[in-house]
Amino acid sequence: MKGLLLKDFYMMAKYCRSYLFITVIFIVVSFFSSENLFFIFYPCLLCGMIPVNLLAYDEKSKWLQYGETMPFTRAQTVSSKYLIGLFVQGAVLCFTGISQAVKMIFNGGFQLGEYLILMMLMLILALVSASVSLPFLFKLGVEKGRMAYYIMIGAVCAGSVVSSSIMSEKMSVDIGMNGVLPILCVVGIMMYALSWYLSVVFYKKREIY
Amino acid sequence: MNALEIKDLNKSFSGFSLENLNLTLPCGCIMGLIGENGAGKSTTIRLILDMIRKDSGSVTVLGKDNEKNIRLLKEDIGVVTDEIGIPECLTAKQVGKIMKHTFKNWDSNEYSRLLKKLSLPDNKQFKEFSRGMKMKLGIAVAMSHNAKLLLLDEPTSGLDPVVRDEVVEMFYDFTRDEDHSILISSHIVSDLEKLCDYIAFLHKGKLLLCEEKDRLLSEYGIVHCTAEQLSEFDKNLLKHKKETPYGVELMLLRKDIPDTFKFSPISIEELFVFMVKEAR
Repeated sequence: MKGLLLKDFYMMAKYCRSYLFITVIFIVVSFFSSENLFFIFYPCLLCGMIPVNLLAYDEKSKWLQYGETMPFTRAQTVSSKYLIGLFVQGAVLCFTGISQAVKMIFNGGFQLGEYLILMMLMLILALVSASVSLPFLFKLGVEKGRMAYYIMIGAVCAGSVVSSSIMSEKMSVDIGMNGVLPILCVVGIMMYALSWYLSVVFYKKREIY
Repeated sequence: MNALEIKDLNKSFSGFSLENLNLTLPCGCIMGLIGENGAGKSTTIRLILDMIRKDSGSVTVLGKDNEKNIRLLKEDIGVVTDEIGIPECLTAKQVGKIMKHTFKNWDSNEYSRLLKKLSLPDNKQFKEFSRGMKMKLGIAVAMSHNAKLLLLDEPTSGLDPVVRDEVVEMFYDFTRDEDHSILISSHIVSDLEKLCDYIAFLHKGKLLLCEEKDRLLSEYGIVHCTAEQLSEFDKNLLKHKKETPYGVELMLLRKDIPDTFKFSPISIEELFVFMVKEAR
């Protein structure tokens, strides 16, 4: 397992430099930007794709086949990607969280509620982005998995557009963000855990040629 | 103890099936797996490593069932595949560090020694390696964790003759320890002829033959004769017949060759080609 993580760190340092660079730039910009939340949230989505990209590079180099000749279990192969994901997203959350807290203090108004909402939104984005894609990739391989992922995202987007238009016509509900977000955070964490479990199950059944 | 025992192994894909494969590789020996492209050599190695699920049969590696003990067994198996799947951005030095945290018995000194012996640079990325260098790095990894069994799938392809000779010598040295064994597949039959104690021929997923090499070479012979002389042979005893404008070439067991005819020794390559043609 340590070997797998070390390999992924070497690969991340080489192939995902641009992601890390963009993330740093965005964290800096979000510190100086007054309103735009895009600069805060985008690094979460971007870094959520790092495990997916590492898996794509593994497949391209035929590491998945080569790794099968070594004393790794399939569960370990899957887990290394999820752990890398947690590590990267943890780092992004940490640095963004610190920068935003410092920004609020400098601006003279650190509000814990507002800060926690921001952090929870980031956590949800971070967890969901990798949770949805990885099981597809582990089951079908990168090429087919990406296709299935895009189809599913398209279906979810279409479904949410339709359902939100129906909801807005029938009722106007003031969703108390403070109440909903912690629940969404728990859902996000459960999604990540479920995604991890499903990826292990799918990958164990996959034949590696 | 046998290093490898394969009994009635079956695996079917669309368009190919490995049928009732039976192989036994005693400890301390080298077995060469010879076959055309698509004969089932790589499939056999993948089944041994439990990378793909068998339909039926059993595989015992170093005395243990491969499915139940595969993770432990992989500590004792060194593998070189026809394509070394090391990520392109890694250097040999980084590969060494990764393997140190992968194999319990990883020997860093042996790895460094092999890198030096095989003239592999420490800090060059894998993508900059030639095919031969990639194979050599794969071989260095496979031989640096005190494996007892080497599974080698086309390990000498892409190597120049001098390095190939060195590598074959390394494999030979490996089996000086009576606990060490090798299953090797290759298209370069001359390498296998030099190296192997046992030879197995695979053709379209079926085992044509599995024998001790020396026994094979001493059992079979080639006779060159004229078309008229052909009648002096019992047709049922002929293993293969090749007619050319210059005469007839026959392969048969030496004991079945009439005393009036001289025969020449057969090579493993000739034997394989004859047998495959016969099987078609």
